[in-house]
Amino acid sequence: MVSSFFQENEFFLDQSRCIGCQACVQACGECDTHRGHAMIHLEYIDRPTGVQTAPVVCMHCEDPTCAKVCPADAIKQDDDGIVHSAAKPRCVSCSNCVIACPFGVPKMNQGYELMMKCDMCYDRTSVGKKPMCATVCPSDALFFGKREEIERIRQEKPVNEFQFGMQTVKTKVNMMTAPEADNVPVDISDFMAGSTFQLPQSRSGAPDAALSAVFELPEIVRLAKDQPVEELHV
Amino acid sequence: MRDIRKKILIFRQETWSGPFTAKTDSSAPHTSERTVTFQVTMSQNAQARALAIGATAALLTVGGIYFGSGQLEHFDPALFWYAIASVLAAFAVGYRFTLWASRPPSRMYFKRALQMLLRSGPKYAAAKAPSAEVEIAKSAAVNFGAQNFIRKRSYFRWIMHLCLSGGCTLAFAVTFPLVFGWIHFGTPLDDAETYQVIAFGITVDTFSIHSVKAFLAFNALNIAAVFVLIGLVMAGYRRLTDAGERAVQTFYEDILPLILIAAVTVTGIALTISYKFFDGLYHGSMVWIHLITVVALIFYIPFGKLFHMFQRSCALAVTAYKKKGGAEAQAKCLVTGEDYAPQRHVDDLKIVLDQLGFNYRYTTEDGQEVHYQDISPKGRRRLIALNQGKALKR
Amino acid sequence: MAKLSLPEESYADQFGPHLNYQPEDGWDTREPDKLVDTHCCFCGVQCGVTLKVKENKVIGFEPREDFPVNKGKLCPKGVKRYLQNEHPDRLKSPLVADSITGFRKASWDEAYSKTADEIKRIQEKYGKDAFAFLGGASMTNEKAYLNGKFARVALQTANIDYNGRLCMVSAGAANKIAFGIDRAANPWSDIPKAKTIILAGTNLAECFPVLTQYIWQARDNGAKIIVIDPRITPIARTADLFLPVKPGRDSALANGILHQLIKNDWIDQDYLDNHTDGWDEVAATVEKFTPEYTEKITGVPAASVVKAGELWGPVDTSMLLHARGIEHHTKGVENVLSYMNLVLATGRIGKEGCGYGSITGQGNGQGGREHGQRCNQLPGGRDINNKEHREHIAKIWGVEEQSLPYEGLTACEIIDAIEEGKIKGLLSISFNPLVSIPDSDRTRKALEKLEFFGCIDFFMNETARYADVVLAGSLQEEDEGTVTTGEGRCVKLNQSVTPPGDAKTDWQIICDLAARLGKKDYFDYTNTGQIFEELARASAGGVNDYSGMTWERIEQEQGVFWPCPSPSHPGTPRLFEDKKFYHPNGRAKMKGFDYRPPAEDVCEEYPIMYTTGRVVSQYLSGTQTRRIGSLVDQYPEPLCEMHPMLAEQLGIKDGDTVKVSSRRGSIILPAQVVQTIRPDTVFIPYHWADKKAANQLTNRKLDPISKIPEFKICACKVEKLEDAPTKFIPLAGQIAGKPPSAPVKFYPKPPERFANS
Repeated sequence: MVSSFFQENEFFLDQSRCIGCQACVQACGECDTHRGHAMIHLEYIDRPTGVQTAPVVCMHCEDPTCAKVCPADAIKQDDDGIVHSAAKPRCVSCSNCVIACPFGVPKMNQGYELMMKCDMCYDRTSVGKKPMCATVCPSDALFFGKREEIERIRQEKPVNEFQFGMQTVKTKVNMMTAPEADNVPVDISDFMAGSTFQLPQSRSGAPDAALSAVFELPEIVRLAKDQPVEELHV
Repeated sequence: MRDIRKKILIFRQETWSGPFTAKTDSSAPHTSERTVTFQVTMSQNAQARALAIGATAALLTVGGIYFGSGQLEHFDPALFWYAIASVLAAFAVGYRFTLWASRPPSRMYFKRALQMLLRSGPKYAAAKAPSAEVEIAKSAAVNFGAQNFIRKRSYFRWIMHLCLSGGCTLAFAVTFPLVFGWIHFGTPLDDAETYQVIAFGITVDTFSIHSVKAFLAFNALNIAAVFVLIGLVMAGYRRLTDAGERAVQTFYEDILPLILIAAVTVTGIALTISYKFFDGLYHGSMVWIHLITVVALIFYIPFGKLFHMFQRSCALAVTAYKKKGGAEAQAKCLVTGEDYAPQRHVDDLKIVLDQLGFNYRYTTEDGQEVHYQDISPKGRRRLIALNQGKALKR
Repeated sequence: MAKLSLPEESYADQFGPHLNYQPEDGWDTREPDKLVDTHCCFCGVQCGVTLKVKENKVIGFEPREDFPVNKGKLCPKGVKRYLQNEHPDRLKSPLVADSITGFRKASWDEAYSKTADEIKRIQEKYGKDAFAFLGGASMTNEKAYLNGKFARVALQTANIDYNGRLCMVSAGAANKIAFGIDRAANPWSDIPKAKTIILAGTNLAECFPVLTQYIWQARDNGAKIIVIDPRITPIARTADLFLPVKPGRDSALANGILHQLIKNDWIDQDYLDNHTDGWDEVAATVEKFTPEYTEKITGVPAASVVKAGELWGPVDTSMLLHARGIEHHTKGVENVLSYMNLVLATGRIGKEGCGYGSITGQGNGQGGREHGQRCNQLPGGRDINNKEHREHIAKIWGVEEQSLPYEGLTACEIIDAIEEGKIKGLLSISFNPLVSIPDSDRTRKALEKLEFFGCIDFFMNETARYADVVLAGSLQEEDEGTVTTGEGRCVKLNQSVTPPGDAKTDWQIICDLAARLGKKDYFDYTNTGQIFEELARASAGGVNDYSGMTWERIEQEQGVFWPCPSPSHPGTPRLFEDKKFYHPNGRAKMKGFDYRPPAEDVCEEYPIMYTTGRVVSQYLSGTQTRRIGSLVDQYPEPLCEMHPMLAEQLGIKDGDTVKVSSRRGSIILPAQVVQTIRPDTVFIPYHWADKKAANQLTNRKLDPISKIPEFKICACKVEKLEDAPTKFIPLAGQIAGKPPSAPVKFYPKPPERFANS
């Protein structure tokens, strides 16, 4: 039985809102179940070309790949659907979960020989408090609350289905996406590296990092290169 | 205080019920022959094999008792129920271990470890292949003996666990041979002051009953009990005060084993106190209480937290496997272009995922197959964000 | 004090910054004794936060969701702020300079006597004004008030100023000129109601992170966001329009946008006619700022200027948010006024979702400048040269009006005057000018010339190393008081713990010193509450009127917005709702400014524009945040951001060690080659000290009105250091958890190429 707290409240992730401040990372390390170790991931997508960052929490799959590939039965899912960190006595630190997780979530602590991962702040959520990261997140990229509320205040739509090739993965945590979408197709062809990572040039809209098109506008290049010294003295 | 939650955690192993049914698309060109064959054979055999191995373990125990005690000559009838419990536990451990070890991921590790010892299995370009035997031996010393990984987690827990595991191991090392009649004590006819230790019918040691050795031998269980008690107090303190542990602990997994071990220890010590200081007051009934607690503990082992003492054997395989993989060719991420894991590990996981019924494959326009496993965890985190950004044009 | 008696590294060894990663006795997961609802000490949002206290130590935090501004949200600094408490570097007793060990512990009596004797000696010998006082804008309103009173009554010096001079004064002066009141016109809750938002020169996501939610809410409501910055900031990444302005060209860009508004008739002529003065002059000034002309000056493509006009012009509601990016200039006031013209020309002010706000850098950036800590100001925002104002305050304080000094020097001018030998003694509190004032070489020389330097602080900041006496003061959580946030909301800080060891609360130290100077009767407080009552009384009738506030009321109402002239007054979250401005004629003043170049522009020798700013994990001069391990890990040392086009020209690759030099100094640091900055500009964050201080290079030319220095633009050159051994040059003393009592080490001289040229 899912507890009433989790029936009423859900986790919503909107990575596009992230400003990379790392409040979530700092706060995550304050959680009692793993104090001193941040379980959330927050990385620059590609700092040389932009400032896009993305927080990644455990999505808590309905049928968790990590638990299935664990050779030691160390990863357990509880009635609330929370997929927990590896059980301390069992984990053999093989990293199967780390490599198999479709979202890249579990972290292997080599010294401890223990996999630790986001457990949606179980020490807090099990007593009716919001997870630490979603409480402090200044940009609301991480949001924990009622579904009606998020549907009221956001234009994006929460979905909990991801498509990885032929594999469909359903999760407890929701991802905000375009209103017309029903799932998040995880496309790789647009983002394949070859040997070095480069963001596609085709992304439109924001003056993103996507090759910082702004600064490579012909006007800017001209202004920057041809006129290093101010010509207009007023 | 937070109540100890009644929640029953779903263990993946328990929910997994034998047959590997893959949700494979029959039109998909990539389901390998090997996978399909494996699914068929495994679905028929898993349960049967576990039963067979459990039965074998039980039979071996019975045989061990019968022959080890010299056709029951040295078998102590007072320990009959302990022996029965041991036989049943051997069956349960054998059954459960086999079931667990046949699960695709565990099976893969045991298989690869065996292949490493036999110098067979898939080959990868390697700089310098470490010796599997050395790695396994090293891992046994460091992880099973010194339990170094626990020390790194915390000194408190390390001492706690050493006390508990050391004390229990000592106690079992003393009691099982006695129960099985493998070891018994005798007195030479000419010397009442001397004790003989007779194992499998052969006298292995003799010492005076006043010697330190004799004291240690007679009090081995009490010494073990002291260590276990220290460990129990530490574990109990931790379970009561550590906010993080309190949040995730469950009665069946974390509290019950402590209670069982405590019951065995306390009733055992009570027996000693009873016959040493109170002329055997209530000794008779306490023997039965002790028996019940021990049997309960033995039965808990295969079905609860304490089963980790067997499951950690997988760690030996894993350590050798990781060491070998580390010296071999590394997988290069399709998204970041960086190395992220041994190629061997990635390839093996693809097989395991197939066996588990996951299909993380993409097919390109020209029919080529791209496996999501060929992308590093970091690359996957990027992909999710980039795809979400693409959908929202941000 | 003369020169430092030990190498800088020895001070760092003894007093830090050392890194604190976890509470001294490890993580304490036991139940706390009490939870104290208070506010974060970093930045002007003043987020509500709950501190967990056990055995008079702060052991952790809990988000405080009842405070309406942040609703539990925090930035990384707010999360880890509790680690400044129980820090191994914490000063726990007064220190007196000592030529062998740098400092030795002293009794309060010795420290006070020495300070008071020196103050008397210097003032007798060189005159009252030869002793200056420098305060800080991270301190409570009560302390700011007390500082002003102490300087005027006890020291009787004209030369008191504060470090807000480096922060918000351009906005303050511009607000005063335009509206006659120095405050953001709107509460933050107006942001989500705006349909267009301009973020001018504010890296909101890193300097005011918690406000991001308001911006995104506005976007959810359909707002368009315009970001004006030489760098692509995290908000700019997904903004609707990004104007990559050249540093130092802000007023021209504002003029260019205003030109578009006039051209397309997106102005509110009625409003201009009835409620403003000076519009015609403004309109005439911007006439020549065609998109093409604007592009030439600002480096913003003409099409983007047109687009900005289209986004700002025809909407119903709009908010202008600006920060140091446009204020840290020799024409900071002009820049702000030019942007204000966009607000006034459309008449979108004093209404729901319409107005402006300044992103406050310091914890009490707003309150710290209202209560008489500034050289030209008396409590209540009163003018120190105005006879009427002087008489009011003299009466409150119980002194003669004639005894009050007149306007003195501003912060940077005080440092200059020390260098010139006009000021001989200095007492400073919560101010680290060696790191925060431009041209640190000159600051250092000035400090070496002081005959006496007393310093009140909780950590040994880099400037305090030059002190003769260091008085161990209090951290924010060790005292109580009020703070006025960036939106003009006065909030209450609660005391979590008492100062450790022999340390005292700041206000006690000030009062004790006043007593030593024979002014005990004027500083006879027994608690901070009495100071607030006096402050509120003193502010009555002034523009910054707090007289209707009490601590109880502030706590009950989760903060009260000034002006609040009576207990029954609800406070004023939004200004100008009656279309009345605080000038005698009730009209806003508009001023137009033609473009003029920055004080130092690029030239052949120094061809690159140099600009400075913040990173999200650090606060101001880093005295607090450079001591918190996990914050330091987030961005361990300054990096020089540059565009790949520039890097390629200079032969620099990402991670190379580069030397950046200006006419005043140089800095050696790793390059960070990123496409998110203008190709003609480099950026270095300013939170670090000594050889890693960005302010070694910046220009100390001041704005003629606000006297703010030009942090945001000077000319520099960048060279690759070929023989740099490693990317990372360790910072002295930054070793985790090393106690300050470690024995003094004498370092060999640093390698010559790391020394300043």
